[in-house]
Amino acid sequence: MHEHGPGESRPHDEITETGPPDYFDVLETALEELLTERNLIRPGEVRHQIDVLDSRTPALGAKVIARAWVDAEFRARLLADGRGTCEELGITFYDDTGLIVLENTATVHNLVVCTLCSCYPRPVLGLPPDWYKQKPYRARAVVEPRALLAEFGTIIPDEVEIRVTDSTSALRFLVLPRRPEGTDDFTEEQLAALVTRDAMIGVVPVTAGKDGSGA
Amino acid sequence: MTSIEDFMRRLPNDVGGQPSPAFQRVDHELKPWEKRCHALADVLDFHKIISTEEKRRGVEALGTEMIGRLGYYERWLTAFAVILFQKGLLTPTQLAERMAVVESRFRADPAPDPAAA
Repeated sequence: MHEHGPGESRPHDEITETGPPDYFDVLETALEELLTERNLIRPGEVRHQIDVLDSRTPALGAKVIARAWVDAEFRARLLADGRGTCEELGITFYDDTGLIVLENTATVHNLVVCTLCSCYPRPVLGLPPDWYKQKPYRARAVVEPRALLAEFGTIIPDEVEIRVTDSTSALRFLVLPRRPEGTDDFTEEQLAALVTRDAMIGVVPVTAGKDGSGA
Repeated sequence: MTSIEDFMRRLPNDVGGQPSPAFQRVDHELKPWEKRCHALADVLDFHKIISTEEKRRGVEALGTEMIGRLGYYERWLTAFAVILFQKGLLTPTQLAERMAVVESRFRADPAPDPAAA
């Protein structure tokens, strides 16, 4: 189902919904209508962008990661040019953002944050979860990443360096997690199914078990 | 460091390293207007009307109290309105009048048939 644009009737999630209209629902609708009438944006443009947003899920990022695990040349290109190499797989970037892919190794664990707001590699992961946008994650990731990761159940050994990368409006980051042990005979599709959103933010590892947390 | 120096060091968004409430792994399904707000932000960025960076600074300029009281997309929409006023693309009166029209329309039709979409 599509969202509704200006001048159209609104969708409703619950028949039982009552009470006055949400102030911000009204504000958004009024802004969209006024901008459209002034030809600053085109009719249907917001609705189209909702379809684009809905088409972006962590499954796209997982496809990139799985390919990097099975194809060393692809991985090298991905680390050298994140955006261009994702585009090779048909993942379009609908904005002007760059993408840098950060590779986890036996000695380095990467974690991505946006301390100022909520920048996130949306073309390849979709929209970020609420916790990524809220103060505790943003405030703590840069000063106590080990303690924060432990709250996700992720224990990083002291001898492994944690690198925290802070996103900007122009440059976004994606973690290339380590391929789990015991997956040598997995197909690329089977590997992709293991890769979760949270693993690509860097808060959990990829495991070969049934742990789909955060996907 | 004196308290005024500490106070002056940061704008409201600049929370990296600050004391913070306990972390909770929360998420929610976006409401329809929140999804529209996100899409509108992208469209405003595409057309160079309000860039992502302008939006962020616009939110920051709302000040600590408003940032603290409003939700994530509520801040975005408020910042959009302020920036559009500042750029002379809309006036507060135009927005207020349109909001009144939209609100009365919503009140008259609070739960339309989704099949009409």
